[in-house]
Amino acid sequence: MSDQIRILVVDDEMGIREGCKRALSLEQYDVEGAEDGKEGLNKVQKNSYDLILVDLMMPGISGLDLIKKVHQIDPEIIIIVITGFATIKTAVEATKRGAYDYLPKPFSPETLTGVVKRGLEKRALRLEAQRMQQEREQRLLELAHEKSRLQTIIGCMADGVLVTNLEGQLVLWNAASAKMLISKGKDKPGKPLDYYIGNKLVIESIHEVLAAEDKSVSMFSKEIEVDKQGTILMANIAPIRNEENNVLGVVTVLRDITGLKEIEKIKSQFVSMVAHELRAPLAAIKGWLEVVISGEAGGDEEQKHKWLLRAKDRSDSLLALVSDLLEINRMEAGKIAQKMESVQVTDTIKKIVEFLKPDIDRQNITVKIKFPKDFPAVQADPSDMEKLFTNLINNAIKYNVDNGSVVIDGTVEKNYVCFRVKDSGIGISEDNLAHLFEDFFRADDHRVKKIRGTGLGLTISKKIVDSHFGRIEVESKPGEGSTFSVYLPLKQGK
Amino acid sequence: MKFKAKVLLVDDDPDFLEMHKAVLARNGYEVLTALNGREGLERVRTDLPDLIILDLMMEKHDSGFSFSKQIKNDPLFKKIPILMVTSVAEVTGYSFSLEKDGYWMKADDFLDKPVMPDVLIGRVEKLLRKKKE
Repeated sequence: MSDQIRILVVDDEMGIREGCKRALSLEQYDVEGAEDGKEGLNKVQKNSYDLILVDLMMPGISGLDLIKKVHQIDPEIIIIVITGFATIKTAVEATKRGAYDYLPKPFSPETLTGVVKRGLEKRALRLEAQRMQQEREQRLLELAHEKSRLQTIIGCMADGVLVTNLEGQLVLWNAASAKMLISKGKDKPGKPLDYYIGNKLVIESIHEVLAAEDKSVSMFSKEIEVDKQGTILMANIAPIRNEENNVLGVVTVLRDITGLKEIEKIKSQFVSMVAHELRAPLAAIKGWLEVVISGEAGGDEEQKHKWLLRAKDRSDSLLALVSDLLEINRMEAGKIAQKMESVQVTDTIKKIVEFLKPDIDRQNITVKIKFPKDFPAVQADPSDMEKLFTNLINNAIKYNVDNGSVVIDGTVEKNYVCFRVKDSGIGISEDNLAHLFEDFFRADDHRVKKIRGTGLGLTISKKIVDSHFGRIEVESKPGEGSTFSVYLPLKQGK
Repeated sequence: MKFKAKVLLVDDDPDFLEMHKAVLARNGYEVLTALNGREGLERVRTDLPDLIILDLMMEKHDSGFSFSKQIKNDPLFKKIPILMVTSVAEVTGYSFSLEKDGYWMKADDFLDKPVMPDVLIGRVEKLLRKKKE
C-alpha cells in the first residue's frame, strides 16, 4: 500500500486522458492512459492498478463490458465511469455492475480528484478488510493446528490428562488417562464426568476444585487408590482461570505412583531392619563397656578383660555387618564394574580352603575337593567368585558339627557348570529354607545364635550368582547337612 | 551366702544374659538364665523366680509378648513381676511405658537396651519392694 498509487484512464478522447493525467499527477498519482477498452484490458492484465477511470461510450469493448472484465481480473480495482450527456441512466447501470461511482462530463479537476480520492479511500478500506479476513482465516487454521498439536502432545504423555469445563463436563483427555480411569464413552466428549469415570473420589476432587471460592487456589494434589489391585494415582488438579481470575475449567494430571509407593515401603522396611540389626550389637557393646566402667558387676582384672573381649567380638560382627551392607549397596547401585574373565574356579576354591585352614582345624573338619580333570573355567569376575565361594565354604564350616566333613565337587551340564558345597552340619529346616536368601535372615535356632553371622552372606551370594546369569540352589535336612549348588553358564565357543 | 532374691533372665542374646547376670550376681541376687521363651517357662515352673527380666524380641518376633502373657495368666505365677527390656523403641518409633502399655503388654516395667547397671539394680529393687507390699 505504500507504493505509489497507479491510476489508468481509459477514454477514446485524448483531451479527457490528458486532462485527467494533468489533474491527477498534481496529486502525486502515477497516471497512465489507454485509448480504448482493448488497450485498457491489456494494461490491467500486465500491471496492477488501484483505480480505473472508464469512459462508457467507446468504440470496441464497451465501458460496461470492460467493468466486468476488469473485475474478473482483480475485483478490488475501483472503477469510476465517465459518462457524456444523457447517459446518467447507463452510469447508474454501471454502478450496479460494480463501478464505484460515476463522473458526468464535463467535470472540473476538483470534482475528478474528489471522486478519485473517495474511491481510493474506499479501496484502502476494502483491502484492509480483506487483510483482516485473511488474518482471521490464518488464525483459525493455526488454532486447528494447535489443537491437533496439543492432542499429539498429551497423547504421547505417560501421565493421564483430563480437562473439565465449568459445567463439570469432560472435554479433553488423553490415552493414558483413558487407560487409568475411563471405562466407557471414550468417543464422546462433553458429557458429565460420572458418565466416563467410575471412581467417586476423582470426580469429587475435581468438583471441589471447580467449586472452590478461594481465588488463590492454584493446585491441589491427592493420592487416590483407584482399584482393588492397589493402583495408586497421584492426581494434580488445577483450575484454569481467565484474566479476571475466574475459573473456566479444571485440568487434572494423573500419575501412576503404585511402583513408587511399593519401593518406598520396601525401603522403609529395609531401613528399619538395618537399624535394628545395627542397634543390637551396639547395645551389647555399650552394655559391656558400662559394666566394666561402672564396676557394678565387680570382677577382677581377668574377668574385666574377658568382658572387653566380648565387646570387641560384637564390634567385629558390627563391622562385618556394615561391610556387608556397603557391599550390597555397591552391587545394587551398580557401581561394581564386573571384570569378566576366564576364571579357574577350582583354583579359587583350593585357595579359600587353604585360607580357612585355622577354622577347619579348630573344629577338626575334613574337607575334600573333588573335581574331574580338565574341569572347565568359567567366564566370571574373579573377586566375585572369591566372595561367593568364601561365603559358601565358610558357612559349611561355621554351621558344621565338630569332626564333620565338607565335600566340594562339580559337574559339567549341558549349558552350565555346577559347583556343589556339601556339609555334614546342623542342616536347615523346611520353614527356614524358604527364607534363606532374604536380607538378615538367620535361622531361629539356638545353635545358630551362637555362631557369628550378619544374615547377609547368602543375600550377597545370590546377587553375585544372579549378576553372572547363574542360579543358586540349596538342599538340606536338619541334622544331616546342607548342599549348596551354584550353576554358572558354560563359557561359549569352546 | 544368702541371696536377696532369685531373678530369671530371658534373652536370646548371650551377651545381654551374661552382662545382666554379672551385674545382678554382684549385687547379691541369684540369677537363672534362659535363651528362649520355652526354656524360660521351664525355669519358671521348676525354680519359681522372684522376678523375671524379659527381652521383648526373641526368635519369632512376639515371643516376649506370649511369654509374659502365659506367666500373667497363670494363677501360680502371675504375682512374679516382669521387667521388659526392649531394643525396639528407636526402630519402630514406639516407646513403651508402664502407664500406657502395662495393661496390655502384661509387664510391670519397661527399660530400653542397653540398661545401665545402676538403673537395672534400681528397677529390680523397686519391683521386688512393690511385690512385698
